[in-house]
Amino acid sequence: MCAAVVAERTEAPPAALSSPPEPVVRVHGLNHYYGEGEARNQVLFGNSIEIPAGQLVVMTGPSGAGKTTLLTLIGALRSAHEGRIDVLGRELSRLSGGELVDVRRDIGFIFQMHNLFDALSAYENVKMAAQLVNGALPDMQQRCVGILERLGLGHRIEYKPRFLSGGERQRVAIGRALVNQPRLILADEPTAALDKDSTMNVINLLKQTTIDYGAAVMMVTHDHRIIDSADRLVHMVDGRIMSDVVLHDALRICEFLRPIELFKSLTPRQLTDVAEHMKKRHYPAGETIIREGEPGEEFFLVSDGEVEVIRADHEVARLGPGDFFGEVALISGEPRNATVVAEGEVDTYVLGKTDFQTALATSQSFRDQLYRVYFMRH
Amino acid sequence: MVRPGSVPLAWRNLVSNKSRLLRSAGGIGFAVLLMLMQLGFEQAFFESALVVIRGLDADIVLQSAHKYQFATRDPFPRAELDQARNVPGVASVRPLYADWFNFFWRSPADGKIFLVRAFGFDPDAPVFSFADVNAGRDKLKETNSVLVDRRARRFLGMDSGAAEAELNGVKVKIVGDFALGPDFQSDGTVVMSDRTFTSLLRGPAGNPSAVDVGVVKVRPGDDPAMVQQSLRKALPETIAVFTKPELIEFERNFQAAVSSAGPIFAMGTIVGFVVGMLISYQVTYTDLSDQLPQYATLKAMGYRTGYLLRVVFGQAAFNALAGWVPAMLLSILLYYLIGRLALLPLHMSAYVALVSLGLTLGMCLVSAALAVRRVITADPAEVF
Repeated sequence: MCAAVVAERTEAPPAALSSPPEPVVRVHGLNHYYGEGEARNQVLFGNSIEIPAGQLVVMTGPSGAGKTTLLTLIGALRSAHEGRIDVLGRELSRLSGGELVDVRRDIGFIFQMHNLFDALSAYENVKMAAQLVNGALPDMQQRCVGILERLGLGHRIEYKPRFLSGGERQRVAIGRALVNQPRLILADEPTAALDKDSTMNVINLLKQTTIDYGAAVMMVTHDHRIIDSADRLVHMVDGRIMSDVVLHDALRICEFLRPIELFKSLTPRQLTDVAEHMKKRHYPAGETIIREGEPGEEFFLVSDGEVEVIRADHEVARLGPGDFFGEVALISGEPRNATVVAEGEVDTYVLGKTDFQTALATSQSFRDQLYRVYFMRH
Repeated sequence: MVRPGSVPLAWRNLVSNKSRLLRSAGGIGFAVLLMLMQLGFEQAFFESALVVIRGLDADIVLQSAHKYQFATRDPFPRAELDQARNVPGVASVRPLYADWFNFFWRSPADGKIFLVRAFGFDPDAPVFSFADVNAGRDKLKETNSVLVDRRARRFLGMDSGAAEAELNGVKVKIVGDFALGPDFQSDGTVVMSDRTFTSLLRGPAGNPSAVDVGVVKVRPGDDPAMVQQSLRKALPETIAVFTKPELIEFERNFQAAVSSAGPIFAMGTIVGFVVGMLISYQVTYTDLSDQLPQYATLKAMGYRTGYLLRVVFGQAAFNALAGWVPAMLLSILLYYLIGRLALLPLHMSAYVALVSLGLTLGMCLVSAALAVRRVITADPAEVF
């Protein structure tokens, strides 16, 4: 229940705090415009997002929110005007036209329209993608047949698109996108034309690609059957990523928050609201998370690992998964009264000062609980 | 990028839709047929003008240097031939009398009078390689006897089997026939002895001491080019000395570049080319427009512009062949029918076939080059 509508405004973490594995997609400070001169219209506003391998990301938002534009920029189909996009370890703005084409070969594209060649059979349409990759001919043929069979089209391999149903055509297009086992798959409403069974077939296949070979899947959709299968939900409105939630993390946040005395009185909806604004942040061993005497800007919940709380050069506490810190300075407005250092590799969920205070204002009981905690610690 | 076993996209695009293929092949084929007819007529026009020259039993041909084409009269003194006979390497020099504008033939069929082409030579010194002419040359020794062209236009009545006819108002005896055929200048031909020729002509044109053509044979083993050089030195500049291939080329150049026929047929061919280009452009443009999302998808997938160009131009080339092959077959049939009807040497030659193929490929590829911009500028982002 708590995880159903979990969202978070995302900002790129400082480089020094990034986790070691290179994300498949890294977008930072992305602005984009359409038109020129007086007709110039900004459609993306300072968006940042990182997508690691093995994640099925579902992007939602109203029409004109910028989802597809973001997808095309990540897919090296457009050039970003401002900001930085790294895809599969390559910064797109530094690449030549030919190199961008090479990047696109490593991406699987699934479009709302299947865009299959009417003149080619299902097998040949898939082969159009397969032949872009070096490899022996028998292997290529095997891959094409294999993916079509996995998509339930083994009996339609030699059929041309006009002899296939809408769902079958879209599955051929999906086969074309997946046949080279790309590390990144970009899909725009891929199941819009599919029935329930075909949709689940496709989603299971996409999900399987994230598991089997760690593909990252970015999918624009309004299909709730897919949303239920997503690892992460990104919601865009008016060119901005308004929320970005890893559903697994949201579940953990809720699990952590629920037993804490401070949050016990919150309704599931209020709990969700708090979780909605928390973002995950990784700290390497020995990294100082907050420093005594500095102004308080964030509230922390430990997800994994252990932190040491130091006051006046003495360790006063150790906190582990489910523990939280940093709330005192946010409530009192006073500087941090302790330093917190990561003992080992530590993952935290972080709530910004504004969001924390918004949550505070939302629930009278939550505010009372916090003040009680505050006075207990003093 | 493309390797063995790759999907033959251009070919598949061509043959997948049979009715579309039929339409495009029909449209392009129609334009090709236009070009083929023009090329065929041009070829027939030129060839018909060359038949007599080709039929000369000559290594070297002498004629007035002032002549701008073979089929004009500009006689030169017969004495020049005597001078030519003394040139080393010359085996024989024989006079040929020829006229295109002064022999009037009364048709034995209906009595109407027509202008015909006439040749005269000494029956003991043959100048043609036409077997029928040489077979009948002894009969030409009789005064006012002639051989007639059985392939002449029918209205001349030369194929009527008549034994007599009238030439320049004089009764002539038809002693045989040969197969030459008309050209664009003459409807029929009459061959006679040199004596008959000069007697039938009056005035200066009938001067027996003036000949129109000197037919030179070179001694076996001698180089015609060397003999030609010697003849040029020996003869005055008013006499042009051609090897037979040179004279054919001279005549062809006149027809192609000087006469109005060349530009007329060239213009006809150009019109066919332009019509074909427009049809081909429409075919290619429509096809590319229909498949623009597919091509944009290929670009998104990572296909380079070069591959797309190869597909589009490949398909244009296939379209060209799909139009050219049926047009060729149809033109062979039309050549045969028109050739029989018009009595012209209209037949498919390797030259016409290759030129028409080149033009067809050219028009399809040029139109593809104009239409392909649509694919090149297709924005793969737009397919999302």
